[in-house]
Amino acid sequence: MRPPTRARRHSCAARRAAGALVLLLAALGRAGPVLAATLVIHVQTPDGHALSGAVVTVRPLEGQGKRPAPVHAVMDQVNRAFAPDLLVVPVGSTVAFPNSDSVSHQIYSFSAAKRFQLPLYHGKPYPPVQFDQTGVITLGCNIHDEMLAYLLVTDAPYFGRTDAQGAWSADVVRGRYQVTIWHPRLRDSQADLERELTVGDADRAELTLHLLKSLQPAPIADRPHSWDY
Amino acid sequence: MPSLLHIQRPRRQRWATLTLLALVATGRAADWQMSLDTRLVTSDAGRSFMDGGLGTSRFDRNDSGVQLGRARLALSAPLGELWSVHLDASVWDDKDRSPLGVTEAYLQFRPYPRAGYRLRVKAGAFYPPISLENRAAGWESPYTLSYSAINTWLGVEVRTIGLEAQLDWLGTRTGHDFDLGLTAGAFGWNEGAGVVLAGNGFMLHDRQTPVFGRVGPPGAGVLPFQQFDGRTGVYAGVEGRYLDRVVLRVLRYDNRADPTKMDTVSGAIAWDTRFNSAGLRVESGTGWTAILQWLDGETSIAPPGLQLAWPFRAQFALLSKRFGRQTLSARYDRFEVDSNVDGGSQRGHAWTAAWLFDADAHWRLALEWLRVRSSSYDRADTGGPPLATETQLQLAVRYAFGSGL
Repeated sequence: MRPPTRARRHSCAARRAAGALVLLLAALGRAGPVLAATLVIHVQTPDGHALSGAVVTVRPLEGQGKRPAPVHAVMDQVNRAFAPDLLVVPVGSTVAFPNSDSVSHQIYSFSAAKRFQLPLYHGKPYPPVQFDQTGVITLGCNIHDEMLAYLLVTDAPYFGRTDAQGAWSADVVRGRYQVTIWHPRLRDSQADLERELTVGDADRAELTLHLLKSLQPAPIADRPHSWDY
Repeated sequence: MPSLLHIQRPRRQRWATLTLLALVATGRAADWQMSLDTRLVTSDAGRSFMDGGLGTSRFDRNDSGVQLGRARLALSAPLGELWSVHLDASVWDDKDRSPLGVTEAYLQFRPYPRAGYRLRVKAGAFYPPISLENRAAGWESPYTLSYSAINTWLGVEVRTIGLEAQLDWLGTRTGHDFDLGLTAGAFGWNEGAGVVLAGNGFMLHDRQTPVFGRVGPPGAGVLPFQQFDGRTGVYAGVEGRYLDRVVLRVLRYDNRADPTKMDTVSGAIAWDTRFNSAGLRVESGTGWTAILQWLDGETSIAPPGLQLAWPFRAQFALLSKRFGRQTLSARYDRFEVDSNVDGGSQRGHAWTAAWLFDADAHWRLALEWLRVRSSSYDRADTGGPPLATETQLQLAVRYAFGSGL
């Protein structure tokens, strides 16, 4: 924040010269640490296939980094399933849990990061729930045991989910970072999937993470809801 | 026996009416479902058990033509936040005491899971957690029309009329691959459990005895759900699950009946029945299901001067594949009832093949072929050859509607 304040005292010509110098340095790939580079994370299964839907969180190792702004998210209940069945939100965010089904649901979490219950309801009778602690929150319905969803609450400045090609990217400030991977069906321990990485001079930094263990099989998709499971 | 029936009947009907009214009064919160299942049947089987015969299938050679499979009404409603009430009533169109019978009616207490554990308590009349086949609404099988020999017997004679508690450790909700559950039940009205097995042996059908209902025709039928020895039956079981793919269940049942007791009004004897059961169900993500169940037990009576016992055992293996809205299934059953009584034993096996087509949420079409080959000394007793091969072919059309569909 300081250099621009000081710069205001310089003459117009000096400011122009400084600007030209920054542009020149940037062009040479030697810009200062405040400028962004593209970070690309690839996640692969042990047999080398792209893993889509994995949650990537990136935290700076030096300093706090900017905290992500809280958001207002929605996790609906449609056809006796949560939609979506995984949300990643910044810490402090609120999530609404409307019920679009004709049957009642009764949402609960017994996860340490947030314990709560929404007694029997249709529609949207409850105010959104606020999530003030980081962590993974497992959600269920006390009436329909097969309903399952996850909420990952994070304080990382950069986060997202891998695309169909198993990749996630973001423009990040140059520096040293810790990269973490999470997936609802992950069998690896979290520590095995943490990496440190320096985003240095280049415009683009890439990291490929391989799971060590294969994922749990996906839940059986087309089983009728009326069956006991 | 008739005098007992006439004393009980009005009270039971009043109770059922009150339950229905209470459910209706809870209004819009209740979930309800109705279905009508009609059959086109051809069968060469011996006289059906509901007509007092020893046939092993539901429909006999006199039943060929159009039959009612089942007309069903199910209701469930919350009672406050943690309690709910469930009722399943059916019409089977046969010779039971009442045209409309209740197969299950219970209250359930469902507190929220805490710290990875979940408790469920049921009180009323319901099935103990044994069958891995009867997983669809109304305790029906989504694989075949006729249930396996083991589960047919449970549907005819075994019901928990009492209390059950189930405690689950929800490992899959806390980052593990497994869930574990413990179940324990205590029940009464079980002195008749075993009487049909000793009298008819194992059968393969989908006719569930309503609570306090009669198996067989007026005058000759038996009552599985009676209470006169003052003893409480118990069961305890363990269930293990691997994700949503594998279920393993083991259960020990003992109705703890006093085999020397006799009901002075009806003349019925208390059947002391105990068994071990085990089952394994494996499902794949590609539509395959395999189910194995095993049952081994004994039922006995000890009227003055006699000690009569019928050890029984049965197993089945079912393999099923779902292709979109169609399900193809095949099952092999083996069953045996021994006896220290002359002419009380039965031995046999059965093949079942079925095609089920769920056209939409309302309509289901099913075709089932069932062949049972069994030898029964009771059959020889009634003048026929002991060995019989019985074949039944059913085409079923079911229409279901309700709040959840």
